[in-house]
Amino acid sequence: MKVMTVWLDGLWDRNPGLVQLLGLCPLLAVSNTIDNAVGLGLATIFVLVLSNASISLIRHLVEDAIRLPVFVLVIAALTTCAELLVQAFDYPLYQSLGIFLPLIVTNCLILGRAEALARREPFVISTMDGLAQGLGFFMVLVSLGALREWASSTLILAALPPGAFIALGLLVALHQMIQSKLKDRRAKLTENSKDRRVRTTGDIS
Amino acid sequence: MIFRLTTFGLITSLFVGIIYVITQPLIIESKEQARLEQLYALAKPLLENGEIQASTTQTLPSGTPVTLSNPIEITAITNATAQVGTVIPFRSTEGYSGTIHMLMALDDRQRIVGVRVVDHKETPGLGDKIDTRKSDWILQFNGLSYGDLSPSDWAVDKDGGRFDSFTGATITPRAVVNALKETLNYLDANPQILETQQ
Repeated sequence: MKVMTVWLDGLWDRNPGLVQLLGLCPLLAVSNTIDNAVGLGLATIFVLVLSNASISLIRHLVEDAIRLPVFVLVIAALTTCAELLVQAFDYPLYQSLGIFLPLIVTNCLILGRAEALARREPFVISTMDGLAQGLGFFMVLVSLGALREWASSTLILAALPPGAFIALGLLVALHQMIQSKLKDRRAKLTENSKDRRVRTTGDIS
Repeated sequence: MIFRLTTFGLITSLFVGIIYVITQPLIIESKEQARLEQLYALAKPLLENGEIQASTTQTLPSGTPVTLSNPIEITAITNATAQVGTVIPFRSTEGYSGTIHMLMALDDRQRIVGVRVVDHKETPGLGDKIDTRKSDWILQFNGLSYGDLSPSDWAVDKDGGRFDSFTGATITPRAVVNALKETLNYLDANPQILETQQ
């Protein structure tokens, strides 16, 4: 059951890009092309999964007083590794991501997951949460990238910074719309089942 | 508590250290690859009647401007009879943050064939317009040689010169133009540096 919630939260219900609105700086800045979006998305997943996993592993060793410095150490080390790896294996990507690759360290999504979940939950759940949240972020980043790259051929605004805000706003609105429709349907369903239950209890008493 | 924190610090540093040692040779290789690609793209007009030779490292006499590293790695483009051009790296330390590394291709009459920024840490959205990926600004130097303009024209427009400075970021283009001017001035007076005898 918990596994289900972790995945649903990361990918939809509490999607980091659309609901929690975490990590907006790279989300808006690097979503101008699909290539950049995929690159930064993968690097973020890498850091998020490994940071959740390792923070979960050391959770019993870290007392409250040194919690934050240790988390920041772990995240900074992982980001540096990600930067080195991208530099080694895809130098053009490293050049086009520029400052946003080292800036993963300040992505509040990563410290947020460490604080909210990984420091309490066991290894498997934490790792899975890292993957789910990372994929959720990746999906939003890539859809923004795709949307902006597609629209920028006709509408130059889409490639510019304001275009990122507008496109993200549209995605958030779409998410909200679907979410409220789902809620209505769920409410109707529970209403129906409530009615029946009421009658049943009525019959019995 | 302090002991624990120190231990975590050491472990994470060790981890980064290991990854660094593993990736370093690969990084050097890809940097060299990127530099070569840029070099080829830059020298393309010269390659119609010449071929890129292996780079040679030269030690320059004292009194070179700060824009040239010493020793310097110079790449000649030659055909069967003569040297048709040269690619030479130069740099500026006057940028907004960190050193701006650049490459310049010159033909046999010291006219600029092209200038490119190889590596910089200027502000995204402002100073990074010196990069061809962001703007064509740096292409305006093509075809110029030092003698084509008076020394006072070799500056950004804010300093009374001929070249645009970006809105909100004058420091970066000024750094590029000044470094270019200084380098060209020096090479104009010391053309023997460009002649690589093999």
